[in-house]
Amino acid sequence: MSRARPIERAALVVAVLVAALAVLGPLLAPHDPYAVNLAQSLQGPSAEHWFGTDVNGRDVLSRLLYGARETLPATLVVIAAATLIGTLIGTLAALGGKVLDEVLMRITDIGLSLPSIILALGLAAALGPGLRSAVIALALTWWPGYARLVRTLVREVKDAEYVDAARTLGVSRLRLVFAHILPNALGALYVQTTLDVSAVMLVISGLSFVGVGAQVPSAEWGAMIAAAANNLTNGWWAVVFPGLAIMLTALAYNLVGDWLRVRNDPTLREGAR
Amino acid sequence: MARFLLRRLITSVVVLAGLAVVTFLMTQVLPGDPARAAAGRNATAEQVAQVRARLGLDQPLWDQFLGYLGRLAHGDLGTSVFTQRPVLDDVAAMLPASVELVLAAMVINVVVAVPLGAFAAYRRGRAADTAARIVALLGMAVPVFWLGLMLQLVLAAQLRVFPLTGQLSFGHQVPRITGMTTLDGLLAGDWAALADALAHLALPAVTLAAAFVAVVARTVRSSMITTLDSDYIALARATGAGEFRVVVRHGLRNALVPASTILGMQLGWMLGSTVLVESIFGRTGIGAYAVTAVLQNDLYAVIGTVLVIGVVFVVMNVIVDLVQLWLNPRLRHTGRRRATPVAA
Repeated sequence: MSRARPIERAALVVAVLVAALAVLGPLLAPHDPYAVNLAQSLQGPSAEHWFGTDVNGRDVLSRLLYGARETLPATLVVIAAATLIGTLIGTLAALGGKVLDEVLMRITDIGLSLPSIILALGLAAALGPGLRSAVIALALTWWPGYARLVRTLVREVKDAEYVDAARTLGVSRLRLVFAHILPNALGALYVQTTLDVSAVMLVISGLSFVGVGAQVPSAEWGAMIAAAANNLTNGWWAVVFPGLAIMLTALAYNLVGDWLRVRNDPTLREGAR
Repeated sequence: MARFLLRRLITSVVVLAGLAVVTFLMTQVLPGDPARAAAGRNATAEQVAQVRARLGLDQPLWDQFLGYLGRLAHGDLGTSVFTQRPVLDDVAAMLPASVELVLAAMVINVVVAVPLGAFAAYRRGRAADTAARIVALLGMAVPVFWLGLMLQLVLAAQLRVFPLTGQLSFGHQVPRITGMTTLDGLLAGDWAALADALAHLALPAVTLAAAFVAVVARTVRSSMITTLDSDYIALARATGAGEFRVVVRHGLRNALVPASTILGMQLGWMLGSTVLVESIFGRTGIGAYAVTAVLQNDLYAVIGTVLVIGVVFVVMNVIVDLVQLWLNPRLRHTGRRRATPVAA
């Protein structure tokens, strides 16, 4: 068992803290995140507005706290949906016979062969702009990686002796899959999903930044940066802080994911990381 | 070897077919009337009816799909509602600027990531290794569009080291030969324009490269560690070869094979990421074109860009496979598939 090093503990704390801030946002936000006050436009960081105000005079800190409630859940929904689709398709491919395996894996190949941001951009455009479209589009483009991983994991487990034993005892097929094969196969999946949190978050905020995702006046972090980019030189704080929020969160989840990966894989424990 | 190639080619054809299906479905979910969208906002009812007949929108879905494939085969990607020009012409005009950006980013990527990864492996577990790991972690966590804005803020707006946006300053002009401003400047022998174009290219290229450096450095590091521990490196040392020669000639050369796969894949990924970079720096490439098209609800232009980037991606995969065959003779005999590419 590899123990968490200080940096990894710090990352875990940050990851949990960001999630907590997202939950408690409305209680902690010092100002109304949507109240336009042009008299307060583009005020620099101060005691009253720690992270300054944006061009509409809205408090950047308050918007960040509310924005976490859009960026983080959107990311989690994408990961959850992609994991679900990927697990379903990967399991079917591993257990469903040769023809089904071939068909499903070729479909998976198609998904893996195209840049997800481009596919998501096209899909989101077809569905109409909005955070919901971005989430659906990204979930539909993100699952192939999981499908391939789950297929490998299930194939490793399905011929194990305890599965044979259960089968001999007359356990039903469905129960065999859900109670015996999947729980033992999916151990490695959560490592990958944790590592993917940052990647998905970057794409979600990127889609919002280019205008396909969350729309004005949303405080989604990418959308905040997009709205503030026009006033980059005279209001840098409205761009800098949302970006730092994305980076810090992504970094924390990367470190936690990396730690889980090493913990889960004995071959990585000595020096090889 | 023939089997390996054949299998890869079949996969590519399947992927291209899948791409056609996906983009066709995108045209189907379009809210509203696709004939009206294709004909343009100001089209008369008669024109819309003409377009409907031309696109075969009054026919069954399967026939429509065949018609769509036929048009694709003729290079007909539809007409952009926004520019009122054929999408293929628009994309062809925009592609060189994006290719220029991607190639510049790739050069930066290789020049930074390969030495970084190799050095980290050589000094494994020491300060330099930790530093490289931090750089890699930051590179994977930073939003590219935000990094672009930050570089713009500090190096262009504040310090004025680089120009803020565009591809060429006012007053310079290059003939359009390749469509890549730097190369055209070079071909025209206009050194001042070339320098100006390079200055415009620097920040977007660094921005685009940032996310990819981390992945390559990691790959080089881990394959370099395996290589440096192998017997032939010990043998090379034993023969008295200089340390630099051992590490670079014997070690790095072999460690670069896995990295070459990733680098090839990354060219395609980078082309996708131009979507996030080009509009920030006011570059007229297909990434910026796609974003404008999305915002203008110009569906055929969006789908055209998706198609072109997808095709480039598939072609890149085939090239990567060929390079792999050339670099790694073992593949020629076993016909084994290469490892799953790592997404950036």
